[in-house]
Amino acid sequence: MSIFKNIFFIDFIKGLSLTLKYNVSKSITMRYPDEEKWLPYQRFRGLHTLNRDARGRELCVACELCAKMCPTKCITVVPMEDNTGIGISDRIAKVYEINLVRCLFCGLCEDACPTTAIRMGRDYELACFSLDCALAVKERLLEPREIPVDFDGGYVVKARLEKTKEGLKVMADLSKKKRWW
Amino acid sequence: MDINTLIEVALIVVKVVIVSMILFGLPIPLTWIERKIAGHIQLRLGPFRVGPHGILQPIADSIKLMFKEDIVPEKADKWLFKIAPLLAMVPAFAVYATIPFGDKMTIPFINKEVTLYISDMNVGILYVLAIGGISVYGIILGGWASNSKYAAMGGIRSAAQMISYEIALTFSCVAVVMISNSLSLLDIVNSQKGLWNIVYQPLGFIIFLIAGLAEINRIPFDLPEDEGTLAAGYHVEYSAMRFSFFMLTEYVAMVTASVLAVILFFGGWNAPMFMPEIPIFWFVAKVAFFVYFFMWIRFTLPRYRYDQLMTIGWKILLPLSLVNILITGLFLL
Repeated sequence: MSIFKNIFFIDFIKGLSLTLKYNVSKSITMRYPDEEKWLPYQRFRGLHTLNRDARGRELCVACELCAKMCPTKCITVVPMEDNTGIGISDRIAKVYEINLVRCLFCGLCEDACPTTAIRMGRDYELACFSLDCALAVKERLLEPREIPVDFDGGYVVKARLEKTKEGLKVMADLSKKKRWW
Repeated sequence: MDINTLIEVALIVVKVVIVSMILFGLPIPLTWIERKIAGHIQLRLGPFRVGPHGILQPIADSIKLMFKEDIVPEKADKWLFKIAPLLAMVPAFAVYATIPFGDKMTIPFINKEVTLYISDMNVGILYVLAIGGISVYGIILGGWASNSKYAAMGGIRSAAQMISYEIALTFSCVAVVMISNSLSLLDIVNSQKGLWNIVYQPLGFIIFLIAGLAEINRIPFDLPEDEGTLAAGYHVEYSAMRFSFFMLTEYVAMVTASVLAVILFFGGWNAPMFMPEIPIFWFVAKVAFFVYFFMWIRFTLPRYRYDQLMTIGWKILLPLSLVNILITGLFLL
């Protein structure tokens, strides 16, 4: 049998037909960032978000639990008294900074937060040219994100690379989504 | 010298220029195609960023090669080191002096009939094999002159490999020559008007293909440039344009092997059964198939070990090719 196999190159033919099948099949390469982009699942741990409640008040009460829980001590919280209704109580964060260079994206701050103010978001394009932007300040964390919270994720969506004044940006079109596999 | 001789001479010069221009330009699409095939076989996309579908990638690469520093190692044999890429390249091109791309063709508008080959040598196949054999000098000398262990190993390996496989390659051609009763490539093609030689010579074709793969140093027999053990083999010390000469040689050699396979076994420019005869088209199509086949094999098979290579060459292919000649002779009696 093995002689028969050798004479007629059975193994070679098997291998060649397999590679030919691959050659004509569709590639699995994702053309990020020119044409496609991966939208992570909701469980993804990307750039943090500071959330507001339904009436638009800041959920953060500056309890500093996240700063205490943080294993790399990358969160700085300075509390401030304020009764003008910015926050849900009369205590808000005067300074809320996350040093993204030190951050592990472990998600322990999220677990520690009693008011679900801090959540891990789904932005992962954090590269930049200076260390300034590696410091996520309160205003940046409070900004609404491109991907809505209730969007389930786990899709590849159409995207394109755009050159803006702030730098390169990948614009995703959330309506045209497809499963990767 | 009358006007007709001048025209003939001018025609030959024009043909030589056209053929060598095509051969010089050929690696540009071939590298792109090879990388694309590599990509798609591995479920990737291959080059995609320079131009549509990465089609300008080889041009970017060649610009890069041209502007790179041309390094000659201090302890290298300078003269040999510089001349070795040319020694490898010139024979690869010289082979095409006898290769016929078609029979005859009438140029439209001026109604001049031209032959689609530079010359019809009566010892064509012998010339091709002999000149192809010189090509190994460039590789050996390139490896030796670099004064580097890897390069020397690559050169020595390639010498042993090419010499041992050249015998089987030549013997598989001998059987074809016996059938067509001529050494001229033109006559060999013309003798295949009805049935192609592959019908009479299946064993010969397989021997030719395997030995040809070894001759042109492609996977699964690319031991002279075995990345795993020899870094890059004989051209490890070469850079910039000298390196690209070696690459050019390799691609031209691959095309030569495809062309020879087509001429010797697949009826040259003869159309397959019941198909209309179109000048050059069938020839190019068959050659393109073989070029694809060589690339296809490259991304399918692993590399043979060196002792396996020698075993295949001396213990299997050589006796088989002799048996093939014997059987062919018995049938011709």
